[in-house]
Amino acid sequence: MEKQEIQQIECSHCDGLISINNKYCSICGKEQKKDQTLIDSRKWPGLKQIGLFFGIELICCIAVLSTDNFDISKAILFDIILAGTAMLFFSYNWKENMHLLKWPNFSLKKTIVCIIISIAASILVQFLVEHLNQLLFNTDYSFYSIYKPHKYGKYIMIISVALFPALFEELAYRGYLMQKLLTIVDKKEAIYITSILFFFMHLSMISFFWMLPFSIVLAHIRIRENTLWYGIIIHFTFNLTACMMEILAFDVPI
Amino acid sequence: MPYMEYHTNSCPCCNNKPEPSDLFCNGCGFPLQGTQQEQDFFYSERNAKEIDLADLNNNVESARKSLYWIAGLSVISFLIGYFTAKDEHDKFAILFTSVILIGAFLVFGIWSKTKPTVALISGLSLYVIIHILNAIVDPNTIFSGVILKVIIIVYLIKGIRSVLEVDKLKKELNIN
Repeated sequence: MEKQEIQQIECSHCDGLISINNKYCSICGKEQKKDQTLIDSRKWPGLKQIGLFFGIELICCIAVLSTDNFDISKAILFDIILAGTAMLFFSYNWKENMHLLKWPNFSLKKTIVCIIISIAASILVQFLVEHLNQLLFNTDYSFYSIYKPHKYGKYIMIISVALFPALFEELAYRGYLMQKLLTIVDKKEAIYITSILFFFMHLSMISFFWMLPFSIVLAHIRIRENTLWYGIIIHFTFNLTACMMEILAFDVPI
Repeated sequence: MPYMEYHTNSCPCCNNKPEPSDLFCNGCGFPLQGTQQEQDFFYSERNAKEIDLADLNNNVESARKSLYWIAGLSVISFLIGYFTAKDEHDKFAILFTSVILIGAFLVFGIWSKTKPTVALISGLSLYVIIHILNAIVDPNTIFSGVILKVIIIVYLIKGIRSVLEVDKLKKELNIN
């Protein structure tokens, strides 16, 4: 059997040759920290930055929830604030994040499958949420009512509910947050934390049965494909389908 | 006098298997061929780190316990809220919210055994969100039990920080 060759490196203290796997130099006994010290020292500041990011997101979302007479202009204002936050944090860590905007292994087949599945999932979720709202709270909830009074309400709704969240939530959660967390915890933990924070940010308890799985799937795809674009497409299609259903239910089609 | 007997066996500190020619263990840095004094010094440094590790583990444990405390306190506030609610609709809303929240904190508590970072970050976020929402609905809630709230938040934050430190120290000490 061929002997496996172990790669050797120079010790960072005594320049003696040691195995790359050594945690300590077998000649001088000094710790071979390599970049590990740097990575470890960045973990806590990284977490604090995540805390700041999530705090801002949370304040915006709670402000949306607690604003009286929430109308179309307020909706647009909060969309812009959230988009700004996402872009700010994403671009602040631009070097780590820029590769996520590339689409290395573009596959038309995968894209079409994503679109079809997200349309089906969205229809199913809308149907279930409507029945659950009726069953538990005896109410119908429609976000279309906010946009309906405006002349171009439908189009603004599509931008505000489908396009903006798809782009900027993906940029913020699967982009910035996930990338930052990957420097602090392992892949699985990063997937769970982004998904749970994404769900919390929506401040809707009732949606946990679909939003948690939805965000876990998005996070998995982002890790596997190493791009944000599949997530953006799925998120956009999912929300667009919901918008279309609202428009169809309450109005004539576009 | 060098202590050659270690060379045929594993490292006395971390059970790593060093090569016979190694002067130091490549897993934990133990001076395999050092003098008694050098080895004693290594042991004492390692002991200090192990004590730090135990302290950090205690912090994590306290943070885990605070998740259960939150669940327990939620049960008490549920009981008070439920029996003082004015109508059936309010009662149902309180029941529904409490069951989910208590369940969530219990799940985080159990989960913190295997995935402490995830459970503690999620638990802290949820706890903060609940109190911000409560404060908006009724600003008086900010001051009720404020010391307890601060203690719980501090424990959770210390716990999260300690999990990171524990990982770092474990790597240094070559223990899993």
